Amino acid sequence: MERRTFLASLSAAAVASQVPLKAVDGPAAGRITLLHTNDTHSRIEPFGPGNGAISGKGGMARRATLVKQLRSQLDSVLLLDAGDTFQGTPYFNRYKGRLDYQLMRMIGYDATTLGNHDFDNGVGMLIEAIESMEQLKHRNPPFAFLNCNFDCKGAPALGTRLRPYLVREFPGVRVGITGVGVAFAGLVAPKNHEGITWKDPYESLKPVVKRLREIEKVDLVVVLSHLGYDNRDGAYDDLRLPGQVAGIDAVIGGHSHTFLDAPVKVKQALGETLVFQVGFGGVNLGRMDFALARGAVKAASGAAMPVVG
Amino acid sequence: MKLKPSSAFLLSSLLSLPVMAQPPGTKAEVIPITEAIPDDPEVQKVIEPLAAEIKASFGLPLVQAPQGVFRGRRGEENLLGYWVSDVMRQAAQPLVGAPVRFAITNAGGLRANLRPGQLKVGDIFELMPFENELVVIELTGAEVIQVVKEGLLRRGGEPCSGVKVKVEGTPQQATLTVVWEDGSAIDPSAVVKVATTDYLYAGGDSIPTLKKGRKPFTTGVTLRQMLLDQCTAMGKAGKELLPPAPGRYSVPVPILEAIRDKTFKL
Repeated sequence: MERRTFLASLSAAAVASQVPLKAVDGPAAGRITLLHTNDTHSRIEPFGPGNGAISGKGGMARRATLVKQLRSQLDSVLLLDAGDTFQGTPYFNRYKGRLDYQLMRMIGYDATTLGNHDFDNGVGMLIEAIESMEQLKHRNPPFAFLNCNFDCKGAPALGTRLRPYLVREFPGVRVGITGVGVAFAGLVAPKNHEGITWKDPYESLKPVVKRLREIEKVDLVVVLSHLGYDNRDGAYDDLRLPGQVAGIDAVIGGHSHTFLDAPVKVKQALGETLVFQVGFGGVNLGRMDFALARGAVKAASGAAMPVVG
Repeated sequence: MKLKPSSAFLLSSLLSLPVMAQPPGTKAEVIPITEAIPDDPEVQKVIEPLAAEIKASFGLPLVQAPQGVFRGRRGEENLLGYWVSDVMRQAAQPLVGAPVRFAITNAGGLRANLRPGQLKVGDIFELMPFENELVVIELTGAEVIQVVKEGLLRRGGEPCSGVKVKVEGTPQQATLTVVWEDGSAIDPSAVVKVATTDYLYAGGDSIPTLKKGRKPFTTGVTLRQMLLDQCTAMGKAGKELLPPAPGRYSVPVPILEAIRDKTFKL
């Protein structure tokens, strides 16, 4: 293929110009690309006209193409979502979220978390949507549902499907991913979250992050957060999270539908946390690339590289 | 496969960076999903027949709305919300067999404007995607005023039907006046029927006084179905859907700003 030839010639040129490389003596380096969405809200098709700046944007079939392209260019990729997949278009009313989750599996998502709107049809319908995704016949494996602050003792059918965290191993980098959800009060009708108790997300995250760092020995800790970016009147949001729970490298946020142009760096006890969120409705795909030296400080320093288009 | 020039640029930059000079670091960006990205054929094949199904059922015409009905920008009155709460009141009356003096919904639950022209079934779904149900409760006059006040402090006034609300003065010193829509005073001890949604009655969107509602009557009618029925009836009668008149909320701009900044108390 033309591309391979092109790559080969480039590497040769690179080696020629950079000799001697000291990489052999240094620690193992790993690279990982996090691709992410949030609050896709059943936007299966692109936004129509009359929607201002987001008119004509989005669409799950396009998202699938973009993800395929990036996966073909990059070795280590995780595709993640920060919740509120449900509610927003007639597709949800008609297909009850089953279509959203099935298409997410076809696109190749690795994990998501649950937002408040994912409970809009109650716990039973949520489980049905998850099951329909798991039962889909497709080469991509089912994706994981991550959350560590919902106590599902009273809803075991959901409890067995929610995992507190996920560890994925890539060449030179081990990634730990967990998730947190926003409080139900005032957002989810009691009958729709029956059997599930919301717990303090900071207190729930602390032991999970500790476990990921110390026992699972991950290099990178990622939190899928449906807390919202900046709640003026609330105690819980993505900007406050790093200061409360040390040791998180990236927060992939949702709930507030915040359009950020770039991740925001938030200082925390062990360095910096990147907090990112890319609007809503699937109009954007977020991308964060981490290049790590194994054993080095994990929080990102933000060395910029050129933007891919 | 041909690489786009920008991708080639990235690859060349990656490959030309000396490995050790690369500190632990990141690169990050937002990639807009635009029409420049082709549809994935496998995913599009799943969507297409479903989109056709949706279009068939949601393309059915309902009623003409020559001016459209809009939520209004911040500081403007939510005429769409007024219309929805008017329909709530009107739909609730025959269901409970008694006058319903007041209705309130939440602006956050109205998810799209009604654009001018022929309204279709899909437009009502976009406006009201939720399965929220119409509920009728009983409140005292004093509680109705309190409900209005709570909506005001939270969002500068939630859309309602049956009353007129006036805030006067400054953010530091303001007075609130709530009267029935005909200008008559609200008797604080009178018991009245109030239409709202199961979501608000359960404490959603922080209007806590609605939770005090007594004798709840759950109608079993979703707000969406209620709006669909109303539009169908108007269409059949050859009527046009026009926005309700403004003038239900009168709040000075500095006070609206103070509400937004959460510095306003009443």
